[in-house]
Amino acid sequence: MSPVDGAGASNPNLPVDRSVTEGRTPSTDPQQIPELQEVDCPPELRERIEMLMARYPEKNSASIPALWAVQERYGWCTPEGIRQAAAVMRVTPAYLESVASFYDLLHTTRVGEHRIEVCTNISCWMRGGDELLDAFRAAAAGEDVFVTGFECLGACDIAPMAAIDQRYFGPLLPGEAQTAIDQLLSGDAVLPEKSLEKRPLAGDVQVPGASGDGSAA
Amino acid sequence: MPHQLETRVLLEGAEDPRLATLQGYKDIVGGYATLERAYKEMEQDEVLKALEDSGLRGRGGAGFSMGKKASFLPRGDMPKYLCCNADESEPGAFKDRELMQRNPHQLVEGIAIAALASGAGHAFIFIRGEYDSQADVLDAAVAEAYGAGYLGKDILGTGRDLELVVHRGAGAYICGEETALLDALEGKRGNPRLKPPFPAVQGLYGGPTLINNVETLSNVPRIVAKGAEWFRQYGTEQSPGTKVVSISGGVRRPGNYEISLGLPTRDLIYDLAGGPLPGRRVKAIYPGGSSSPVLTAAEAMDLPYSFEAMAGAGSMLGSGSVIVADDTVSIPHMALRTARFYHHESCGKCAPCREGTNWTVKMLERVVRGEATPMDLDIISSVQENIMGNCLCVLGDSMAMPVSAMVRKFRGEFEQVMAEAAEGIDPHVVVDAPAETLGAAT
Amino acid sequence: MSPEKREVTLTIDGREVTATEGEMLHDAAREGDVEIPVFCYEPKLGAPVGACRMCLVEIEGIPKLQTSCSTPVRDGMVVHTRTEQVKTAQNAVIEFLLVNHPLDCPVCDKGGECPLQDNTMGWGPGKSRVIDEKRHFEKPIELSPLVAIDRERCILCYRCVRFSQEVSEDSQLQLLDRGDRTYVGTFDDRPYVSPFQGNITDICPVGALTNYTYRFRARPWDIEQAGSVCTLCPSQCNVSFTVRDEKVKRVITRDNEDVDDGWICDKGRYGFEMFNAAERVTEPRTKGGGKVSYEDAIAKAASGLKARLGKVAAIVGDASNEEGFLIQEILRQGLHSSSIDSRPAGGPGIDTILELANPARQAKVADIDDADAILVLGTDPMGSSPILDLRIRKAIRRNGARLVVATERPTALDGGAEAIARYAPGQASYFVGALAAAVGGGVENIATPVAETLREAGKVVVVWGERIGASATNELLGLADALNVSTTEGAGLLEIPETANARGLREAGVLPDAGPGLGALALQGRGTEEIRQALIDGDLDGVILVGVDPLRDFGDTAAWTKALDAASFVVAFSTFATATAGKADVLFPLETHAEKDGTVTHPDGRLQRVRPAAGRPGDIRPGWQTLANLSLALGHDTGVTSQPTAFAALTNAVPFYASITDEAIGGRGIRWQDTASASSLPGFERQPEQHDPTASDRPGLKDEADPSGGEIHAPGADATASAPDAGAGSPDTQRERASGESVPVAGAPATLALGTYRDIWSGPITELNPPLKFLKPTQHLELSPADAHRLGLASGDKVRVTQGDHSLEATALIKERTPEGVCFLAEAITGANANGLLNGHQVRVQIEKLAEVTA
Ligand SMILES: Cc1cc2nc3c(=O)[nH]c(=O)nc-3n(C[C@H](O)[C@H](O)[C@H](O)COP(=O)(O)O)c2cc1C
Ligand code: SF4
Ligand code: FES
Repeated sequence: MSPVDGAGASNPNLPVDRSVTEGRTPSTDPQQIPELQEVDCPPELRERIEMLMARYPEKNSASIPALWAVQERYGWCTPEGIRQAAAVMRVTPAYLESVASFYDLLHTTRVGEHRIEVCTNISCWMRGGDELLDAFRAAAAGEDVFVTGFECLGACDIAPMAAIDQRYFGPLLPGEAQTAIDQLLSGDAVLPEKSLEKRPLAGDVQVPGASGDGSAA
Repeated sequence: MPHQLETRVLLEGAEDPRLATLQGYKDIVGGYATLERAYKEMEQDEVLKALEDSGLRGRGGAGFSMGKKASFLPRGDMPKYLCCNADESEPGAFKDRELMQRNPHQLVEGIAIAALASGAGHAFIFIRGEYDSQADVLDAAVAEAYGAGYLGKDILGTGRDLELVVHRGAGAYICGEETALLDALEGKRGNPRLKPPFPAVQGLYGGPTLINNVETLSNVPRIVAKGAEWFRQYGTEQSPGTKVVSISGGVRRPGNYEISLGLPTRDLIYDLAGGPLPGRRVKAIYPGGSSSPVLTAAEAMDLPYSFEAMAGAGSMLGSGSVIVADDTVSIPHMALRTARFYHHESCGKCAPCREGTNWTVKMLERVVRGEATPMDLDIISSVQENIMGNCLCVLGDSMAMPVSAMVRKFRGEFEQVMAEAAEGIDPHVVVDAPAETLGAAT
Repeated sequence: MSPEKREVTLTIDGREVTATEGEMLHDAAREGDVEIPVFCYEPKLGAPVGACRMCLVEIEGIPKLQTSCSTPVRDGMVVHTRTEQVKTAQNAVIEFLLVNHPLDCPVCDKGGECPLQDNTMGWGPGKSRVIDEKRHFEKPIELSPLVAIDRERCILCYRCVRFSQEVSEDSQLQLLDRGDRTYVGTFDDRPYVSPFQGNITDICPVGALTNYTYRFRARPWDIEQAGSVCTLCPSQCNVSFTVRDEKVKRVITRDNEDVDDGWICDKGRYGFEMFNAAERVTEPRTKGGGKVSYEDAIAKAASGLKARLGKVAAIVGDASNEEGFLIQEILRQGLHSSSIDSRPAGGPGIDTILELANPARQAKVADIDDADAILVLGTDPMGSSPILDLRIRKAIRRNGARLVVATERPTALDGGAEAIARYAPGQASYFVGALAAAVGGGVENIATPVAETLREAGKVVVVWGERIGASATNELLGLADALNVSTTEGAGLLEIPETANARGLREAGVLPDAGPGLGALALQGRGTEEIRQALIDGDLDGVILVGVDPLRDFGDTAAWTKALDAASFVVAFSTFATATAGKADVLFPLETHAEKDGTVTHPDGRLQRVRPAAGRPGDIRPGWQTLANLSLALGHDTGVTSQPTAFAALTNAVPFYASITDEAIGGRGIRWQDTASASSLPGFERQPEQHDPTASDRPGLKDEADPSGGEIHAPGADATASAPDAGAGSPDTQRERASGESVPVAGAPATLALGTYRDIWSGPITELNPPLKFLKPTQHLELSPADAHRLGLASGDKVRVTQGDHSLEATALIKERTPEGVCFLAEAITGANANGLLNGHQVRVQIEKLAEVTA
């Protein structure tokens, strides 16, 4: 007789048959720190992570940078990549996955070749951020481009804006989404005239019609 | 030419892209002379005194005296740390981005001098992961500074050492909270810690740690160079100095403007930021980022833009970021956006914040869908009350304060929107051509 | 170490409360009878996290409410726990926690014993304002084959993940995602595998983590709790059995800081399922399996034994103190023999045992907590006494104890060690001698690197394994003296014996050269291995086996088979129908620790009471009763007619147990060293004899020397630790020694020195216990990367391992930390038992890769 006889008998959701779940158990080895020889870490990745660890008084500080390195190498934080980083850092893969899953920019599922974050927070929303997100979603449909709405990216001055492969662009019209994606996919410079880096200080921009008479309240 | 109401101190010479290089920084504003003098000629206490006397208040949100905080670090040989908070993730705030992008060496120099004042031997700039291009700029500046002997071992032959590491975050607003920043920097999930112990006593790796905002630290070189008197000529008695203010939302010329603190809010919004878009009127503002209780236009416009005036009006200056809501903005929807942000960003460690933010979002969603009653507004207010003061850090309060202010000040609008939504009317007026009225990059 | 803590006085709800400085407000309040509700606070898990906010209180002078779980008391503090402000906050926290809680109490296993229910009743608002949709997770799902997780019920109190990170230190259980999406999980959704995982079901304050073995089996009002002691290993953790209808349904902890710190391992928690295995012996049997009555069985046993008067031996393993006492009575008084032992491989003489038993040299479990340094010698606590593994980790983590590990095989504790030494299999004696000389005399030798850490430390606790063997145990006295353990308060030796009640049995007289109370005997009998030989040689003719399984657990299976076959009369007491039990002419059942009534003695001298909780299945009678009747049938009246009389007989016979009463043992046990009768230990008044570690006349290596006349230490294995960066700790904290002059001789046959170890999961615990079956170990040949390379092996390859005429099949497993020149196999693995390769000497094995079988 099964030791867990009756387990789940009164709950239809429960896996009653233990043999089924035993089959799901891939291994009885604890998911502990993998040994390097088990994980086949590419040497460049290993060296990079070792260099990162050396920058800090305590090696665990390198966990976020190491995950960035994994993401750069594989496009996202793959389980294999996490195990490789874990083996180099001498921490458990679970620890690194836990860290990765906390942060919005580290992905524990596959995302596209390119990544676009469209701000939908207060200031961008006021200036059409939701519509811009819809436009990017439509333009990216079917392409290997990951589009997501995002919280404030710290560029409300160019609202509505988007970060395209980690570079900021704005203010954007919905119609510019398609252009941006076409440029991105063809390898051209993306919306050069909308790049934040090229923008002057706000106080140095001449705005037609900005009266500044301070009386319109 | 900058507007006459601007007072460019931290942004002095910032129109010139060469400022971001070490040579440009030296040529344009005489950079690193203060570091050299401080490292070669000054004692820790002398630097500390200059900072304390200046009355410089933290620019990251809480407005605590920078010099005083630095003086809290115990003396002694234990390893001490300095963390520059460059996480800038509060909606409406983008001033640190500008300072790092345009003038990274000013920050590096400020950090080096603050390290001297606090006795720190290891410094970190924790920059939000989204600011990838600014982090690249900082990396380059730090490398230049190492090359020139301003960082590293035996700085300028003085026998003093300082290591500086640019640490990129990975997308979590909570890491701006100073103790969460420490956990994140130690390689963990960015959860805030219990206080006490305070970071000045037990911070990074358990050692005494000074944490300051980018703008706070950027102020340090000039204060040490020119003295407290010079600094106090700007600003007010309780809010000395200049402040880089981020203005966004419904204004014609959103952006960063450096002002002498105490400038009338009206001048800031109408003169510097160009006032509301054509045909619109200002309805309400967040005076200090999305965490600050909103003020109606009537409440806000005549206030001087200073720590004390904003506190006096029941709000706060916070990080110094003004978000302007004009008359097309539905306040309940804005409350929902605000709540959603904090819900998304809550770290999940403590119950009132984790559950309070998600519950508030659900209730506000019902409000804008027209599935709520006025009694729900009372519950929303009561839930905000229950959050305030009961959380592990102030992220929960940061939602509760603006949301409860909105419900209180715009209750009529909430009831109206609820009623309209129940009848299928969408009260959210979409701005049709957002970019038109803005100056495009040239 | 810690200076006396000051007492402080504070006021809580108008009541004056005295507390110790540094204590948390919550705890101080409880001592003053003020209850403050908590969820996340659990001092066993280390520093408070202040996450749930349930424990907020008002402290005068501080505007915001403070978490009492994390606020240390201060003198003169004035605290209020029942003001309006506090009540509002408590209501708020409960309301918040229930926002996303499914409130499925009617179908929840925790119902009725749930802190969330209790706190909601006691401190909640009493009504709900939440009408919004709750968050959803798939539920319940398998966190592991043992534990189900219902993430909807989870209140994110952090307890379970803190356990994984800060107690078992496996760091496998983690929080994933953020905010209210946070959930508890593992890497890549793989099952949580940890020998301590069941503890998370005890500490979860809601029904989020439940045992598959208990789900829907009982409601709190159907059950009774019965406190007892787990005797599945020498840790003797204090447990409480949940019993329904006379059957054990669950095992939970029964916190005893002096023994287990409030944790138990999964063996102890889930082991109960084997109590009802089909293989259980539930009535007396005769050879061939025929069932007989107790009366007939006793008569048959008595006549068979009597016919062999003076030629009968006894080997005892799993037995209570009383049972042990009765067996030695039977043997010595009834059968006029003194060939009796309780040690699987014999052991040191009574002189050494007495020296080691001297209270001045004895460390108690709690001493580990405050030790300056801990030496783990010749044992891996994870396999042999798991709860001590947690205890040692705690000392390192919380108190900064420095750990030194000196073993043949890499241990689970290596990661936290400051210095590691590896000696070749069979060289424990040589190593311990060298270590004593290096610590005491400052002699430069192979043990010097680890000796430095120990020499500098003040209080050293040596946790050593009985496995090091008799001659190394003799050397241990010299080491103890070199470390000044007998003159240093809180320092001492703590043995991890091979069997659960080893100490109790020895003290009850189950030794060849000492009777009850460790009194030396004029007539010295044979120890375990001599008994085996005497049976083979015909010098002995009959044997009584009590709770031992030599064919599985003892080295040299072939010799044991021969011995048992040679014995013309075997009486066995066994819980299960093992191969050994199959050799018995008369077989008696044994009670499990859930059924037994009796005392056991912890390795640190603590007498504990095993209390019957469950009904005995079938026709099983108490062990004391069977033994007393057998003794009577042999013509010796022990006067034992009940458990109390058995206990009295024991305490009468063991002088240093004399003042111990059942009452004194109570629920927590009592160390005999702490009683008035301690001075009755033979030789107690003697100052611990000083043993000169550098003296040359110390016992030699004779009994363990390599019969091949080879070097004293096997190639490579003299080295401390192995490859650089091999340890799990940071490389710079581990002092490593390069692997000396251990270059292998070119063209040498592919042989490696064999070391064996006890796997925590080998034996009936996984084989006869369905819930733990998935953990059943298979045989792995552990070897170093360099040896694997030389032999052309990769992890996963099937190999044949041969020693003389004996061989077994195993799977190769390359381990970076395995020293070169040595390989390891597990003992007691059915079908591939490493004991079969042992012959009482140091052995070398040949390794041959098996052709791949295409499935
Ligand atoms: C939720 C939260 C987010 C914060 N984010 C930031 C931030 O992005 N940048 C910052 O400088 N301070 C931030 N702060 C304030 C910091 O905790 C801290 O007070 C500040 O960095 C101290 O620097 P200062 O004294 O120079 O202002 C945040 C605080 C909270 C509670
Ligand atoms: S599963 Fe239980 S123990 Fe773990 S965090 Fe959730 S409520 Fe706490
Ligand atoms: S018990 Fe104090 S915060 Fe949870």
